[in-house]
Amino acid sequence: MSKPQSEVPYGTLDLLILKTLEAMGPLHGYAISRRIEQVSGDSLQLSQGSVHPALIRLEQEGWIRTDWGISETNRKVKFYSLTRAGKKQLLVEVANWEKATALVAHFLESMS
Amino acid sequence: MTVRRAVERLLALVRRRHLDRELENEILAHLELAERDAMARGLSPEEARRAARRRFGGIDQMKEEHRDQRSFRWIETLLRDLRYGLAALRRAPGFTAIVVSVLALGIGANVAMFSVVDAALLKPLPFPQPDRIVRVWEAPLPGVLNATSAPDFLDWKRLANTVFEALSAEQSISVALTDKDEATRLSGKAVTADYFQVFSTRAQLGRTFSPEEDQPGAAPLIVLSHAAWQSDFGGDPDILHRRAILDGVPHQVIGVLPPGAFDRDETRFWKPLVFTPDQQVRDIHWLTVYGRLRGGVTAAQAGERMQAIHAALTETRSIEDRKATIVVEPLARLLVGAGLQRSIYVAFGAVALVLLIACANAVNLLLAKAASRGRELAVRAALGASRGRLIAQLLTESMVLCLLGGVAGIILAGLLIRVATPILADSLPFTADVKLDLRVLSFAGVVALGVALLAGTFPALRASFSNVAELLNRSVRGSSGAHARLRRAIVIGEVALSLVLVCGALLLFRSLLKLQQLDTGVRIENVITMSVDLPPGAYPTPQKAALFYRAMAQRLQAAPGVSQVGLSTNLPLQWISNGEGMLLPGIPEMVHVRFKRVDPGYFRTLGIPVLAGRGITGQDSEGTPRVVVINQALAARLAEVARVKDPVDQVVRVSTPGYLETRVFIPEVEIVGVIRSERVSSPGDSDPPVVYVPLAQAPSPQVKLLIRTGTEMAAVMPAIREAVREIDPNLPLGDVATMQQVRDRTLSGASRPAGLIGAFAAIAVLLAAIGLYGVLSHTVTLQRREIGIRMALGAGATEVLSHVLRNALSMVAVGIVLGLLGTFALTRVMKNLLFEVSPLDPVALTVACFSIALIGLLAGFLPARRATSLDPVETLREEG
Repeated sequence: MSKPQSEVPYGTLDLLILKTLEAMGPLHGYAISRRIEQVSGDSLQLSQGSVHPALIRLEQEGWIRTDWGISETNRKVKFYSLTRAGKKQLLVEVANWEKATALVAHFLESMS
Repeated sequence: MTVRRAVERLLALVRRRHLDRELENEILAHLELAERDAMARGLSPEEARRAARRRFGGIDQMKEEHRDQRSFRWIETLLRDLRYGLAALRRAPGFTAIVVSVLALGIGANVAMFSVVDAALLKPLPFPQPDRIVRVWEAPLPGVLNATSAPDFLDWKRLANTVFEALSAEQSISVALTDKDEATRLSGKAVTADYFQVFSTRAQLGRTFSPEEDQPGAAPLIVLSHAAWQSDFGGDPDILHRRAILDGVPHQVIGVLPPGAFDRDETRFWKPLVFTPDQQVRDIHWLTVYGRLRGGVTAAQAGERMQAIHAALTETRSIEDRKATIVVEPLARLLVGAGLQRSIYVAFGAVALVLLIACANAVNLLLAKAASRGRELAVRAALGASRGRLIAQLLTESMVLCLLGGVAGIILAGLLIRVATPILADSLPFTADVKLDLRVLSFAGVVALGVALLAGTFPALRASFSNVAELLNRSVRGSSGAHARLRRAIVIGEVALSLVLVCGALLLFRSLLKLQQLDTGVRIENVITMSVDLPPGAYPTPQKAALFYRAMAQRLQAAPGVSQVGLSTNLPLQWISNGEGMLLPGIPEMVHVRFKRVDPGYFRTLGIPVLAGRGITGQDSEGTPRVVVINQALAARLAEVARVKDPVDQVVRVSTPGYLETRVFIPEVEIVGVIRSERVSSPGDSDPPVVYVPLAQAPSPQVKLLIRTGTEMAAVMPAIREAVREIDPNLPLGDVATMQQVRDRTLSGASRPAGLIGAFAAIAVLLAAIGLYGVLSHTVTLQRREIGIRMALGAGATEVLSHVLRNALSMVAVGIVLGLLGTFALTRVMKNLLFEVSPLDPVALTVACFSIALIGLLAGFLPARRATSLDPVETLREEG
């Protein structure tokens, strides 16, 4: 049961998904993965499929909510949107991310 | 992980199918959308589909990841293993049935035994704050338990209220309940008003006694136990408006207790204990005192306080009175004596051994199973199943087996408890409610799990840590050294443990036999006994009682089937609770004696020989000089204390309780005879000094009838009842028993677990035999090729037979040696339970060894026979 290699830095996929939903409003899974790809351009190697396990996790945590909607191909699909708890969590994750990058930047600077 | 997510993940286990379908749909939608976008970029449909797939990544990997994220993967695996395990067990129903029943036997016996241990020893008493309930008594000498006089009790109650919330006295009574011409005997207790405060018990219907109701002049009232209400009063819903006629006096029923502990006691009703003026004397000790300690007061503190009170109260009294200590003992400790506790623990130890043997058997069977499944496991290992997975799967399988065994065991335990409770009720305290409750069920769960780990781990580890290639090879060739060694070791262990149990059981049986042969000084064959209680209303004077006894004895003597009749206040072979004093001329100190009133027929009926002087005759009645007969033990005591060489014709004084009054007379009496001592206590205790007083000269309202019958005892009962009814139609006969039963109760107390341990030993031997048979027949199966070659080379049937039997005997022999060592170590704990049998009794040990050896041979014989009937050609062809 080896985990699929995540090309996204570990733990950042949650942040990317939450941020995307905050910016774009309700989206289905494909749209979320496309949006992340587009924004990050070629710098990120993301298997589109890997958003689905992340989505179920975020849903179970109560940070995102699902509603049924109709896709552009006329299929019934899940549309995900941010909950209030999700908004709070996004703030926490952003803060954590900033703290972590600042720390690493500071570390790299002082060691060079 | 947040709680919310944990709950979601658990829920996902149940919604697995639904979630899988949803995911499938999401993937399809995702790919469709991706294809559409790709075609919009100008790719051909075929190229678009490939691109969409590529960008999506590994679908199966993603599904796995999805499952990992959304639920607890290990639970899913476990559930799958469980399904797989169940299917595997269904495929081998015979194997499953054997393992499950072996485990059910072990677990069931243990659970049933634990319910007894729990009820009698572990559970708190079934009253609120039970550790505050105590019994208070005087100990004139250390270890001697004396009842309390009414004035002393009243003083205690007045002075000790700083340590006791409630202090109450009780006296056991027995009355005739008359209902529509029918009279039945009812046991009850006369109690002071705060009795139920001591036990913190409220009435379910009505109320219990209020403080003024035990004062002189109060109306006659009773409180009923729930059982009495249900059986003696037919559950009458209008019971509180009924008057019960007890000894001819109407008593108002004021309350019924809730169902529970009091229903298991013989007490059916309680009435207020009202002290009459003549009961207010200090030298008659007749009350049993129970108290409820105040919160935060320990029994020891209460004891100190009581000792101080006693010292103050007895300052002006005799040295003898002042010597006594006051003991305050928690009720729980009183109810289960050291002897009963030991019996219970020994029986529990024995049943634990049975469980161990059952486990060994299960391990054995699982090992055999694993060996025959070696090929399947090897193939699975070769196909990439990790060792961990194989172990997990085998463990799950044995877990399923053990759980099935556990469930069957609990059912078996339920049956055992139902069968055993009526038998055990006599030996257990009334507070012990033996039942399958949550505590017992959790014990069963723990045992089943323990068994599962013990029985499952071994085979699982052995099976999966072998090298794959070796496994594949072995399953073809079919000989497994390591396995065989382990299984032999297990069988040897089983034989050893069974031997320990058989030895224990035989020792107890030997002890029982010794007890049966014990000379008790009385002839009890064909003697039946029952009790007679004269209601004071109909028999107000001792003269009336004496007349009745004489008439009844004469009438009974003439009844068909009756050969001899005797009357006594105490049954033979039963402890005499009445203690009195004998004063000899010129000796200041009293000789303590046990006091028994008997009629002229008593010594004759029981075949008690008169050693000197004469017995009691019909001439000894109210009008003639007072006489007594003493037993040998008292004669010896008199010789020691007063240097009386020949007690016959000696004139002494004996304190004698009055009729229907607690006042004591100390009349001058002449000792007219000495009889041989009759046994009144369990073996090991020496005979107490006893004085026998003619019943006619000192009648008592309560006597026991002893009737020797010429024919079958049960057949004579109607004639006996008829004879008594002719003299007094309102007099019920109670406590009908044969003297053999009385004897068993008195003597076999110590050997009581014999039957139980015997049953456990039988189960153990059976299990060991199954184990031995299993191993040997498996060995024969594995050695078919070898045996085939031997036979092809000319070995005869006898040789093959002796080869297999030698194999069996070698295991049994090692097992017996180890078992004997275990016996030497373990039977010592039984020392106190054995009567005149050494814990290393050679007869018991020899018989045990031989029976185990014999059973071992039998278990080996069947597989051996099968081995000789093998056709060498066929086996070689099949194996080759």
